[in-house]
Amino acid sequence: MKVDITYPPVEKRRQRKKKLIRAAGWLMLLAAVVCPVVNLAVGGKAWSLIVLMGLYMTWTLVLSPDLVEYNRISQFIKLLLCSCIMLIIIELVIVPGWALFVVPIVGFCGLIVCAALFFSDMVKQKQNMLPMLNLIFFSALGSAAGLLWGGEAVRWPLAVMGILSLALLIACIAALGKDFLKEFQKRFHTK
Amino acid sequence: MKISTIINPFDGYISSLPGEESARLKEFFADFERHCDLPWREKRKLKEDFEKAIMYYSSRGLSLESSLELLDTRNLGGFYARPPVLWFPLDDAAKIYPLSMERGRMSVYLKEPVVPEMLQMALDFTIRRFPSFATTLKKGFFWHYLDTTKRRFPVSRESDIPCRPLKVSQSGSLAFRVLYWNNRISLEFFHVLTDGTGGMTFLKVLTGEYLRLMGAVAGPSPELWDINATPSPEEFENAFVRVEQKGAASGFMDKSALQMNGRLAEQRPCCILHFKMDAARLYEAAKKHGATVTVYLTALMFLAGRAAIDELQGEQSIQIPINMRKFYPTKTVRNFSLYCGIRLPIEETEDMGQLIGEIQRQLEQKGSREAMDSMLTATERLVNVLKFVPLVVKQPAARLIYGFLGDKIFTTTLSNMGVVQLPEWMAEHVDCMDFVLGTAISNRASCSLVTVNGRAMFTIAKLTADPSFEEKLYELLEADGVNVKVEGSGFYEG
Repeated sequence: MKVDITYPPVEKRRQRKKKLIRAAGWLMLLAAVVCPVVNLAVGGKAWSLIVLMGLYMTWTLVLSPDLVEYNRISQFIKLLLCSCIMLIIIELVIVPGWALFVVPIVGFCGLIVCAALFFSDMVKQKQNMLPMLNLIFFSALGSAAGLLWGGEAVRWPLAVMGILSLALLIACIAALGKDFLKEFQKRFHTK
Repeated sequence: MKISTIINPFDGYISSLPGEESARLKEFFADFERHCDLPWREKRKLKEDFEKAIMYYSSRGLSLESSLELLDTRNLGGFYARPPVLWFPLDDAAKIYPLSMERGRMSVYLKEPVVPEMLQMALDFTIRRFPSFATTLKKGFFWHYLDTTKRRFPVSRESDIPCRPLKVSQSGSLAFRVLYWNNRISLEFFHVLTDGTGGMTFLKVLTGEYLRLMGAVAGPSPELWDINATPSPEEFENAFVRVEQKGAASGFMDKSALQMNGRLAEQRPCCILHFKMDAARLYEAAKKHGATVTVYLTALMFLAGRAAIDELQGEQSIQIPINMRKFYPTKTVRNFSLYCGIRLPIEETEDMGQLIGEIQRQLEQKGSREAMDSMLTATERLVNVLKFVPLVVKQPAARLIYGFLGDKIFTTTLSNMGVVQLPEWMAEHVDCMDFVLGTAISNRASCSLVTVNGRAMFTIAKLTADPSFEEKLYELLEADGVNVKVEGSGFYEG
């Protein structure tokens, strides 16, 4: 069976990139198995949890990015969320007693950056509103929960985070007007 | 060293025009400005498309007046002049597809090499007639949706594997691409956007517009959508919801089928093969066995499948997509297809006569309106059950179900697009067409057939280097007196 070639030769660059990512994936998987085993064998603090989180962050943010909704706001929020989880893990396994204070500070700084990313290019970024709404919702919720059950020392960062999240929501509604409702309708449709 | 001034070739062209024509051109671009309110970078690209097209016409000796008449900015309509407003919830079939990222591709082979400048203009004019194509896939809380994106949609020279993944992740990214290579125009699309019928409608309109721009005299064409007509809601409806749910829900689940044993390739697809045949000869061969072309080819695929499978027991299953438009006529270009599976024990796939009878029987039963209604009801019920489940929960579950059930219950697929009707003025410029199914997860081959201008093109998208399947198929067709010319890609791996 003779085949007449009617397709162009393929650029090797893309194939190489794919192979590199696959190789990196296998290396990371190996590290994800070896580190907990070494940690268990050697004993001591559970540092392998930090390694695992680091590997996950590298994988999800660099090597295997989102297939849908990959934009500056969503990626920044993903980085923010991963960083907060990493901080909490560090507190739990290495040095306790500071995360409840630091995480809300990281959170409200994240809200400020998010607002800057959104309002600097509102026409385009209004299509990327859902991750920001999620951040606002969880920041407000976290703030309320922290203020109810957290200690005296963590009050101001939590309060700032809560106020900023509400302020960002109001600013979005005010800036987008009817478009906010339209975007909201698209994002939460069940049709 | 002499420093020369870099002049835009189009500026050079304008300066060579007599005053009257130069003024006419200025007027033309002033009109263009009124039709285009895109961000400046996109606007610049769109304007350059017009400039290149005018230059092309000029190089072919066409008068400026005739060029501007062909490129009339009225063909842009208000599409580029208005901000994006529309959005489309996914149709019921597509609600499963975004998670599996399935793609399809169809091509038209012209009798002359493609002129990229003109193809770009054709796409610039055509896209506004298909608002559901001018969209980006976005993530909602419960479902994905298609959000309109207003930009210049580029055509590209083919330089990669056919059906390679479409990057739909970024804002404004497209769920389809238009490619060209020699005399071939290809449309690759994400299945969230459309099915084969919808894709073919788009490709026909795009090709028709390209041929018009190339000077073909377009006659009345009921087969083609008029690019200047206003899109109607029916053309973009989710036709699944229009069908009344009745009877029992069934049709999704089945047992695992045998898979061809060739090693799975890393590249997907690793090879594309086109069997080019005379449609009349193929029809005759099918008739000789007392079968339709679909049944005949399905039977050959069962026999060829057996040659590619080592197991001596178990069932082969061939998935046959069913176009629901034949039961529920609609103009929609969104997905409106379901499928049925023809199953046969491998030990019984020997005698052609017996095979044909059994396939015919199963196809009549499983591809009947009643069976499709049951599947449609099951689809509807599934969608209704899932509609309030957040996407973050549904997504991994659906991926799992598709990956481990949807694919493994079939050995291969045969999608027959049937005979594509082209208006006479267009048919004389078209050599043939092909249709490539995006490869599955573990099915080593996906087959499709499309017939136009008396040429049938049977395409195999391969996922393994093992040539047993296509070699057997070739041998069987030749033995039945159907001369096959094989075209395709090289092997992409290695």
